[in-house]
Amino acid sequence: MKRSHTRPISHAMIDRILKAGRPMAVIDVGTTSVRMSIAQVTPDGELETLGQLQQSVSLGRAVFADQEIGRDTIEECVKCLKNFCTVLREYQIPLDSSRVRAVATSAVRDARNRQAFLDRVYIGTGLEVDAIDEAEVSRFTYLCVAPLFQTNAFLRESDALLVEVGGGSTEVLALRNERVLFSEGFRLGSLRMRQTLEDYRAPASRLRDIVENQIQRTMDLMRRRALKIEGLNLMAMGGDTRFAASHLVPDWDKHELLRLPVGKLAEFTDGILSHSVDELVRRYHLTYPEAETLGPALLTYVRLAEAMDLRQVLITSVSMRDGVLAEMAGQGTWTSAFTAQIVNSALALGAKYNFDRPHAEQVVALAQQFFTALRKEHRLGAHHELILRIAGLLHEIGVFVSNRSHHKHSMYLIQNSEIFGLGQRDLLLVALVARYHRRATPADSHEGYSKLHREDRIVVSKLASILRMADALDRGHMQRVNAPEVKTTARQMVITVRNAPDLTLEALALDEKAEMFREVYGMQAVLRKEGMRG
Amino acid sequence: MDAKYANYINRELSWLEFNHRVLEEGMDPTVPLLERLKFLAITDSNLNEFFMVRVGGLRLLADQGVVRRDATGLSPAEQLELIHRRTHRMVEDAQDIYLREVEPRLAATGVQRTRPNELTDVQIRYLGQLFDQETAAVVTPMAVRSVRQFPLLKGLALHLAVRLRPQEGTRRTRIAVMPLGAVLDRFITLPGRAGLQYVLLEDVVLLFIDRLFPGERVAESVVFRITRNADMSVEEDGVADLLSGMQAVLNARKSSGCVRLEIQRGVSRTMLSFLQRALHVSEDETYCLAGPLDLAAFMELATMEGFPGQKYPEWVPQASPLVDPKSSMFDVLARQDVLLSHPFDTFKPVLRLIDEAADDPDVLAIKQTLYRTSRKSPVIEALKRAAANGKYVTVAVELKARFDEARNIGWAKKLEEEGVQVIYGVKGLKTHSKILVIVRRESRGIVRYMHFGTGNYNEATARLYCDISYLTSDADLGADASSFFNAICGFSAPQQLLKLAVAPIGLREKIVELIEDETERSRQGQEGTIRAKMNSLADETIINALYRASQAGVQVFLNVRGICCLRPGIAGLSENIRVTSIVDRFLEHSRLFYFRHGGEERVYISSADWMPRNLDRRVELLVPIDDDASRKELIRVLGVYSADTVKARILLPDGRYERVQPDPGAASVRSQQALYTSSCERIAHMQQARRTAFEPHLPADTQE
Repeated sequence: MKRSHTRPISHAMIDRILKAGRPMAVIDVGTTSVRMSIAQVTPDGELETLGQLQQSVSLGRAVFADQEIGRDTIEECVKCLKNFCTVLREYQIPLDSSRVRAVATSAVRDARNRQAFLDRVYIGTGLEVDAIDEAEVSRFTYLCVAPLFQTNAFLRESDALLVEVGGGSTEVLALRNERVLFSEGFRLGSLRMRQTLEDYRAPASRLRDIVENQIQRTMDLMRRRALKIEGLNLMAMGGDTRFAASHLVPDWDKHELLRLPVGKLAEFTDGILSHSVDELVRRYHLTYPEAETLGPALLTYVRLAEAMDLRQVLITSVSMRDGVLAEMAGQGTWTSAFTAQIVNSALALGAKYNFDRPHAEQVVALAQQFFTALRKEHRLGAHHELILRIAGLLHEIGVFVSNRSHHKHSMYLIQNSEIFGLGQRDLLLVALVARYHRRATPADSHEGYSKLHREDRIVVSKLASILRMADALDRGHMQRVNAPEVKTTARQMVITVRNAPDLTLEALALDEKAEMFREVYGMQAVLRKEGMRG
Repeated sequence: MDAKYANYINRELSWLEFNHRVLEEGMDPTVPLLERLKFLAITDSNLNEFFMVRVGGLRLLADQGVVRRDATGLSPAEQLELIHRRTHRMVEDAQDIYLREVEPRLAATGVQRTRPNELTDVQIRYLGQLFDQETAAVVTPMAVRSVRQFPLLKGLALHLAVRLRPQEGTRRTRIAVMPLGAVLDRFITLPGRAGLQYVLLEDVVLLFIDRLFPGERVAESVVFRITRNADMSVEEDGVADLLSGMQAVLNARKSSGCVRLEIQRGVSRTMLSFLQRALHVSEDETYCLAGPLDLAAFMELATMEGFPGQKYPEWVPQASPLVDPKSSMFDVLARQDVLLSHPFDTFKPVLRLIDEAADDPDVLAIKQTLYRTSRKSPVIEALKRAAANGKYVTVAVELKARFDEARNIGWAKKLEEEGVQVIYGVKGLKTHSKILVIVRRESRGIVRYMHFGTGNYNEATARLYCDISYLTSDADLGADASSFFNAICGFSAPQQLLKLAVAPIGLREKIVELIEDETERSRQGQEGTIRAKMNSLADETIINALYRASQAGVQVFLNVRGICCLRPGIAGLSENIRVTSIVDRFLEHSRLFYFRHGGEERVYISSADWMPRNLDRRVELLVPIDDDASRKELIRVLGVYSADTVKARILLPDGRYERVQPDPGAASVRSQQALYTSSCERIAHMQQARRTAFEPHLPADTQE
């Protein structure tokens, strides 16, 4: 049976695919609407969309004006989510996190009564909604477009810029050869633009000025990050461009990328801007929120393309939700190619702070060895291994500030930097693991650590104790302990080094730092030499 | 006439010509006799509805002096005049054919109508007893004191008007009116003879009329009936085009006025003028009939048991070779799509799909739209069973199906009681789409099975109407079908669909886009062809798009059963458009569209005709048929209709229709016959191809 609307999940991104036949869903509580995508993995390992639902709920409006989500709006949202839950029940999709993921973006994130909103939703529907940050949005965006890079070779030939003008914010993700160059979010979306016009009772012509401003900021960003604008592939995501594309190219196969001439899009946009919102609703059968944001959003894409002298814009129908689904399908694991993105980002950060790269990489290599050897004890997975790796790479960037208490500086720097693919929660874990690579062990009074759930606290302890030892074994920053043999017994972890010269320094360091390891794993760390008799 | 008015045909006049085509079947000597009688009955019942709704609406406007002109420049009053003129001729024709041919020939076959002056004494005595015992009790005369105090009569029911001689010493004429009531049989069988001998009820009452007025002398008694303006609102689907924005007109109306008076010929001028004044009907609106009133009631005779020689030979709906009776419908549809042409192909696979879904443990949900369904519908029973078996069953019912509201509400409530989620339509729109979705959980994941149709889920009408069913498990259509139900159930705003188009949010735009695409191709030198079959064509936007297509050289073949407001064959406007209409034993009902599209040959089926009411005020679907085999079959079906030279009439530029003649030497083609024959041949061929006499049940994994 022809199945034309599946798409590859990009096996570069996901190692293990969820068993076929179990549908799952992602709910996106956005600025102007709540959307749900339901999908399943086919026997061929591809992602097949079963359905898309959407209801307009103006979360953004109130939040942008009063910083709070109004009670009526909350109830509207709950009602909509209840409807969505009914549909989930029809597909027999249970409300657990492996099958349903609900995320909320800028409108909810910025609301002062965010927690009350999330609580009410949980009580009303049983859904746990995650207010995700921009880094996670970037990660999901990357996951959803990555397959396109596999199936469209031309995308790999030059730099690509993904832009999504949402209601509350504009997300920008730059890629070169499938690797992430940078990602950034601007707190200016189509709804904010519309509201700015309304607040100042400005005529529609003012819209162009607002958009110009936005364009300039984006161009500056791209120049700062050395994006190659020549021959750039500008990819537009979002319902607004999908709408425009469907009207300009009715035959568009939505599973493919569409190359739309900028001129045609510009003409269409002018047409849209010349109509009142009422006219748009009547003519195109839109809802009012859709009609309000359509013009500003399209204008942004058009002006951006024109500022960069581009002839065409690429339109895709994938959305962040597809990225979430891809991650769910892969059961939350990332492959080496994807983690390489994250590692690259970390390396770039380290370089920024002049870190000792060979030392950092050596520490990471040792830490990974210990991690593997201790699998049965810590029972942690690939995700946490990655946390350990990043912590290992960045544990000493604090030295840039000062040698004294550099572990605390490292923590601060990591928490306040951007590492592609890591959201706030993961970033905090990395920061804490790095912090605890020396000196004091975790205590309730420590900032950051005190906010963690018990589970995460244990993770930090498990990983930090490994990092300490890895760091100890390169105390001299000379990479003298290379790929040792690591064996565990019930009471000991034995590290055997071959052909090593004098290891007194390292042995001493290990002694110092193994205390935490003993406390956490109940084992003693023993360093042995073999080979060279000296 | 203003040039722009000349481009269209008036809708009411076009409908009347359609009704004439129905009448023509009654006039056709090659049609079996009881079928001819049936067509006469249908002609009459069609006129009843036409007068109640369309003429009623126009009357309302004319009474208020509204001069809103239609696309042909006619005001309501002008249209009424033309309508009456044409209808008078039509009624004359119908009465004439009935009296001159149908009634005598029926008598010759043993179905005889006996007039009062032909009764034997025995029969008169029998009827007299019947009258005294049963009829008289029900027939109650009402005295009418003046024209202003005329009693309120029921529309379409037969009544008698009696003029009594003035009493001794007075000169005042007295008039009484009496309804014949719905309780009594119209056809009173006379005992004895072989065959069927009957007397009409009104004839019996007229025979014994004196018994109802003891002590009086009856000067005159006549049969008559009135037709009332239907009770309607501004949104009333049938007249929304006339009455939109006319709330004030409706408010001004005092009571449902009389729009037609039918009376037997021979009535005196006194009586007639009295009735006309009392009922406020004009001479135009008065129809004097030479024969029986209410020919629609003769449907009872036409459908009685027996007399196979006077009816069409039975055409049993055939099984489809695509549907293996030994496999489950799910297995069948997993292998291929199934296209069925009813009534030539049986409707059973559709019923079987719903039935199996109701009992299959892997089915999670069933969603369906129900517009008009049969009385003891197996569909309803299956849906109830499905709900009882724990499936999520959602049904979107349409209660405003004109004239059968009472029945609709009853079964809808029963469904609700059984746990089915019933959606009582969408606000402001009639749910006319015909779609069924079954969501099933299989080892490869969720799979959806769909039925899309041009006709209702009614196994009775599926044997009487020509319709198309398309059964599939295509994933894109499944996603669209779920999306459609999410929208009408209020779970989601309508999403952009992959394949389907939905009215009123884009169906017209899609049709126009397809026409304009063909137009553009033709302008650029490609061959452009459009073949469209539907029941009515009245939408101006689409008609204008078709005119533009013709002007660009696109060959347009339209098969429009009923109303066609497009004027074909006008130089510089529509010379490349050919319109035919087919009226035959089965009511043509399917909507089927073909666009050459540069050789891709795009085919669609739809629940919607190309009329404003379908495109703007109803929820409808346009379904692309991408499956190769189904597409080819539909193209073949369209070809058969185009080739009809027996029951096809072609529309001339002046609005008249004439029969299509076969080319000299060529064999004649009757499309419904040809389609039935091919259905029979296909299944016969498949059965002959079976290699063995016995077919064993083999384990599931054996190669088939």
